[in-house]
Amino acid sequence: MIELLAITDDPAPTAAPVRIVPAGGLGLVVEPAPHGELDADALWRRESLLEELMRERAVLPVRLGTRLEDAAAAAEAIAPRRAELAAALERVRGAVELSVRAAAAGAPAGADGFAATAEAAHARLAAHARASARHEGPELLRAAYLVDRGDVDGFVVTVRDLQHEHPGLSLLCTGPWPPYSFTEGPAR
Amino acid sequence: MSSAGAIAERDVALVDLVDRLLGGGVVIAGDITLSVADVDLVHVSLRALVSSVEKARPQQP
Repeated sequence: MIELLAITDDPAPTAAPVRIVPAGGLGLVVEPAPHGELDADALWRRESLLEELMRERAVLPVRLGTRLEDAAAAAEAIAPRRAELAAALERVRGAVELSVRAAAAGAPAGADGFAATAEAAHARLAAHARASARHEGPELLRAAYLVDRGDVDGFVVTVRDLQHEHPGLSLLCTGPWPPYSFTEGPAR
Repeated sequence: MSSAGAIAERDVALVDLVDRLLGGGVVIAGDITLSVADVDLVHVSLRALVSSVEKARPQQP
C-alpha cells in the first residue's frame, strides 16, 4: 500500500525525501503507507515534506489517509480528474494558505457587536487574498486565505493592525500552509 | 520566547494542521485509513478529529 500525500504540477524528481510518480504531466507525491498510529510528530513530518516541496513547485495536498494499492492505482484514480487538478494547481501557484481564527476575548458585551467586527476583519483580510474560505467552528471567525507569497508580510501586518484596533477580539494567525483549503474550485 | 510560549504556539498550530489534514486537501477515491493515538494531541484537536472523521466517511448509496 502507498499513501498519496500530494499532487504537483512538476513530475521531475525532487531533493525532498519523497517519491514523485509522473502521471499524465502531473506528479504524484507518494510514500509507503505508514504502519501503526499517527502521532503529532508524524503529522508535522508530513507537513514539513509538503512545505519543502511547495518551495520549488505548485502543490495540492491530498486528504490525510488516502491509501491506494500502488502508484499505478493512484495514477488511475486521478486520471479522470487531470484537467480539474491542473486548473487547481494553476490557481494556487505562487500562493500559500494562512489561517485566521477570531474569538471574543473580552467580557461578553454584545455578541452581535463581536460578530460584526469579525465580519469586518474578514473583509479586510480577504482583500489581501486571491481567495478565501470560511470554515464552521465555535469561533467568531475561522477562515483560510490564499495569499501570494510576496503579500504574506502585508497580510500579517493587517492581522496585527486588526488586533490593535479590536482588543476585544483574540486573533490567531498560523501559516504559511500548503493550500489545503483551496484544492476545490473557486469559493462560491 | 519562553518554552511555555513555544509549546502553546505549537499547540495552536497543531489544531490548524489537524483541521487541514482531516478537513482539507484533495479527496481521491481510495481507502481513508486513520489511526491517531498520541494523547498529547491537544484536546481541541481531538474533538476536531472526531467530527472531521465522521464527516469524511463516504456517503451510503
